[in-house]
Amino acid sequence: MLTPWATIPLISAIIQPATPGTYDTDLEGVAVMAVAVAIPKKKWTGQVRDVVLGATEADGGTRSKTVSVGGEGTLPFLDFEAPMPNAPRVAVEIKDRRPDDWSPILLEAWGDFMDDPAEWAKAVEKLDVDLLLLSISLTDAEGSETTAEQARSTVRKVLDSTGLPLVVFGPGQTEKDIEILVAVAEEAAGERIVLGVCDDKNYKTIVAAAMAHGHLVDARAAMDVNLAKQLNILISDVGLPLDRVLMDPTTAALGYGVEYGYSAMERLRLAALQGDGMTQQPMLVTPGEEAWRMKEAKVGEDVPEAWGDWEERAISWETLTATTLVQSGADVVVLRHPESVRRIKDLISKLWKKGE
Amino acid sequence: MLKIGEEIQVISTKVRKAIEERDKGPIQQLAATQVEAGADALEVNIGPQKKQGPEVMEWMVDTIQEVVDVPLCLDTTNLAAMEAGLKRVTQQAFVNSTSAEPDRLRDVPPLAAKYNAKLIALTMGKSIPVEADGRVTIALEQLVPRIMEVGLPLEQVYMDPLILTVSGMQEYCPEAVETIRFLKQIADPPPMTVIGMSNVSNGVPAANRSLINATYAVMLLAAGLDAAIVDARDERLKEWVRIVEERDDGTPVGQLLINLYDFTAAMEDLDAAVVDMDDPEQVAIYKTVQILQNKIIYADGYLQV
Repeated sequence: MLTPWATIPLISAIIQPATPGTYDTDLEGVAVMAVAVAIPKKKWTGQVRDVVLGATEADGGTRSKTVSVGGEGTLPFLDFEAPMPNAPRVAVEIKDRRPDDWSPILLEAWGDFMDDPAEWAKAVEKLDVDLLLLSISLTDAEGSETTAEQARSTVRKVLDSTGLPLVVFGPGQTEKDIEILVAVAEEAAGERIVLGVCDDKNYKTIVAAAMAHGHLVDARAAMDVNLAKQLNILISDVGLPLDRVLMDPTTAALGYGVEYGYSAMERLRLAALQGDGMTQQPMLVTPGEEAWRMKEAKVGEDVPEAWGDWEERAISWETLTATTLVQSGADVVVLRHPESVRRIKDLISKLWKKGE
Repeated sequence: MLKIGEEIQVISTKVRKAIEERDKGPIQQLAATQVEAGADALEVNIGPQKKQGPEVMEWMVDTIQEVVDVPLCLDTTNLAAMEAGLKRVTQQAFVNSTSAEPDRLRDVPPLAAKYNAKLIALTMGKSIPVEADGRVTIALEQLVPRIMEVGLPLEQVYMDPLILTVSGMQEYCPEAVETIRFLKQIADPPPMTVIGMSNVSNGVPAANRSLINATYAVMLLAAGLDAAIVDARDERLKEWVRIVEERDDGTPVGQLLINLYDFTAAMEDLDAAVVDMDDPEQVAIYKTVQILQNKIIYADGYLQV
């Protein structure tokens, strides 16, 4: 009997049956013919550096595990071409105190844990994630500028309460970040934490602090491939080995420019795989922070009814932003909501190591 | 390659001040130094000059022609100023420029034809297509028909594919080379081609600009470039242009440049095997070719890695 394929000359010429006969499928009453399809494989000459976060007791730290990121020799999940040794890692962001500007949805999700970073960290660890990101606020609960000593004490509490490898972000102002991250680096000496963000203004000091105390840096450039590469060159020139650098190409939320971030990441990753040694850093991105800044996620009032259920919309916003970035080569995604964590972990488990 | 000196342009504070004060000295000095340095023609960019366009252009042309005798490349969007300049020049001038943008295309080519001037025609409409195909299509479907309509000989038209900086618009760099190549094939005799050389290194640290400009010049010449608005005082640029034009293979760098020219002319990539990787200058040229071909992502420190 003539198979439908044979009636389409072009396809029948390309897809040759491996062995004659039909095979059962899961679908009732449906059988398909097995075909041998030669899947085109791209041969890349470069690969992303393998970067290890966290140090256990054996390496002079106190983390319960270390986490490897990067190492892939192909585009995301195309591991039939080359190995992708590490799944994209999920990190959860916590703050040093109950945040003033987070969405009520997030406040409800984390509840009283937010009043104590140590308890919050423990709650995160129970979600079985890879990494914890502690973000230091610009001011304390009383409205005074957070001091280096306060930051140091928060980091100590968090380190003592969880075994997860840690990323610490400063408040995001060059001078303040330097002050806080230098103290944090000293407090966490030997723990192989990631200091962020390290940019073209503060990199000399942040890199020096990382070098002095055995840490890594998160090198952030504003969605610009040229600047991202240049920052890696500058950091490398100061003397930090590139296997202690994560690249943070900056991202934006769904509907607010995520496609620009996607393009920048894609271009950097293609360059890395083509052998450009100054772009071969694993990429960390912060879809949680970006998505939850946007009104679609943040607020439930004064929005069109057609937008639907607020909580579901908010979580979808974060999840879809993160999904997009995972597809464009993110090695670490930093999230905020526990349900987004569950969904992204589920997505990654369904995509990773399926091609071998 | 016809070298059009770039320095008399309104973005320069020195030039702007001289225009405001009608101070001939700085303008004449810029004109004389560039011609002395080997400029075959001089760019005269006065900007839009909305208020006193014709008067400023006349003053500029007169001021420059008092000290040098080379063709002038009149650059203003002010049509009255352009016409005033064209009436004043003593040598066949360049009109810089028309594009496929409807108003420009309607007004500028007839002016060039009326005064028998050369016309620079940008292969862009409202935006610049990335791919060479898109730019050549603009030339073929919009610029050429209009130019023929006004009766300007195509050999008198200088097509400009528009050069954008490698430090941000890197994907345009190899496409501009291909645009030049295709433009030289669209008609017989073909149109002439011109570019703004220094644009390719806008935003690049000063120390690397000449290297990037000169390397790009070799590649563009291989594709058929006829003229360029250049820094006439850039010794490396002039020397490298001379090397490939005379095919002077007397030095190792000269041999590499001729190789780069020949590979590019044959539409091939420069073979790393012809580069002496122990010679820092050759390595720098090779790395520069890599970024200009958009094979390696540009970074300010690209030579360091």
